[in-house]
Amino acid sequence: MGRVILWEFGKLARLRSGRVGLLVAFLLPFLWALAPTAGLNQIYGLILVSGWQVPALALLAGMNFLFPFLTAMASAEVIGSEVAQGTLKSLMLRPFPRSGILLAKVVTALVYPYLLLLASLVGSFLAGAIHGFSSFAGGTGLGAEGFAGVGLVAPAQALAEILRAYALAGLVLWPISVLALLFAVVFLSTTAAALAAVASILLMQLLSPFIFLRPFLLTTYLGLYSPPTYTQTAGLLGLASAQAVVPQGLVLLMIYTIGFAALAVLVFDRKDV
Amino acid sequence: MNAVEAVAGASAQAQAASLEAQNLGKKYGRKPVLESVSFRLNPGEVYALAGPNGSGKTTLIRLLTGLAFPTSGKVLMLGHDLHNGGYAVRRYLGAVVEAPAAFYPHLTGRQNLEMQAFLSGLQNAQARIREVLAKLELLAVADQPTGAYSLGQRQRLGLAAAILPEPKVLILDEPTSGLDPLGINKVHEILAELAWNGAAVLLSTHHLREVSGYADRVGILGGGRLIDEVTMTAKGERYRLRVNEPERVSALLKTVPGIENVTLRDVVIVFEGAPQTAIAEVVREGYQVQALERDYFDLYDYYRERVRNA
Repeated sequence: MGRVILWEFGKLARLRSGRVGLLVAFLLPFLWALAPTAGLNQIYGLILVSGWQVPALALLAGMNFLFPFLTAMASAEVIGSEVAQGTLKSLMLRPFPRSGILLAKVVTALVYPYLLLLASLVGSFLAGAIHGFSSFAGGTGLGAEGFAGVGLVAPAQALAEILRAYALAGLVLWPISVLALLFAVVFLSTTAAALAAVASILLMQLLSPFIFLRPFLLTTYLGLYSPPTYTQTAGLLGLASAQAVVPQGLVLLMIYTIGFAALAVLVFDRKDV
Repeated sequence: MNAVEAVAGASAQAQAASLEAQNLGKKYGRKPVLESVSFRLNPGEVYALAGPNGSGKTTLIRLLTGLAFPTSGKVLMLGHDLHNGGYAVRRYLGAVVEAPAAFYPHLTGRQNLEMQAFLSGLQNAQARIREVLAKLELLAVADQPTGAYSLGQRQRLGLAAAILPEPKVLILDEPTSGLDPLGINKVHEILAELAWNGAAVLLSTHHLREVSGYADRVGILGGGRLIDEVTMTAKGERYRLRVNEPERVSALLKTVPGIENVTLRDVVIVFEGAPQTAIAEVVREGYQVQALERDYFDLYDYYRERVRNA
């Protein structure tokens, strides 16, 4: 199984959408770091004072639409490219269980969001270098008080906040990634699967006015990586503590991820290819 | 023969089949693509599938290889139900289901075969890979990415991948498509050799005259049904006779003992049996014989006739 997963990573490295996604994620932070101060202040009410704030800007902007979309595209292409090349059939002809092949693809689809975020993080640190990485007064944007902060932030604290946020962002992207894979199994097409995954997320967002559905909607927890949103989310869910949002959200994200993956395996097992 | 012997005999016969399609049917939505297709393929047998475009050949091959699932019926490969838990029996399956065969373009021919060997659980893979590459004359390009292969090289690599696990069942969709005449001969030699060694070979083809040389049976598909099965080796010696009054002579020959299967094709009488007997009878009755020649069975003509009349 390990060898099959390694092959899948080799294929992932050659996916066009995967490569484009990594490049965009890497370049995006430079846009923010080099943006005119006046313009940034006008739109976001922010004046960059430290390189530690660039990762937050990249993450907040990316997670709004771009990262989920890029993740969905790459995951869909994990199956779609094999269909387009005709190689999926040759895999299916071997006496290797279909579920094993799909699980290897699920692992790839789960790793890709972290590769995307890693590219963004590396780009953010490189782009943020012009602002320096010493202690600064304010916030990283990924702590409890956002960019305003609560005083002086030490580099270690800033790094911890950023890493925590990026780790959570990856988990937020997991169900989207596996959902795209599920649709790719159903449609055997990259474009159709990616569009279906993005459309599903957008539709789920439209369901948020239904209060009884809110705790179960994936979209309720898309801001899980951003502590400043916890209070608002807790309010929407009627939770007493803002801190309760994270464990509840993580459980639901895992349920969605595992559920979509299990469904993909089941469908794939009886799918005509 | 008592009931127990009959069951034992039937069981032995069932065990002998390398591949068996039992009432296979496939629908896409409400549209039937295949209906009640049944046949069995024994070890060492070469079975050619022929049929016009859209007759269901590719769908049948996808069902037989387990790539698609039947709406009705089942496929038994070496006695295992391929679609219900029998995936492990694919260890004995070699197949090319696309023309040209598909490979990962960034991997070399050898690496692609290594992947196939691993997924097949093949022991001593390197030696076997070298053997099949040599057999298909691909050693010179074995370490080049397959993205740079010509159409013919990819097709030959497809066959190399198919015979890699030393299959007991070989299923090929248009195996000679895109090959030059030498490549086509090579493929036919390999298929005949595999069948000689006991593998059951099923191939779909439009090149009927090519396969008629070594196929044991030819299944003709039309409109999603197996409309005919021609056993190539069972054809008796046939003769074509040209006479001055073909209709009367045809009627006459039908009454002659030892002369069988008399048919009239336009003005030519075709019959099986001793030609001397037929000629003697025709001359004795006062008809004029214009020509007599052996009637070699032309699969292509037969196929055209069957498809036209289907």
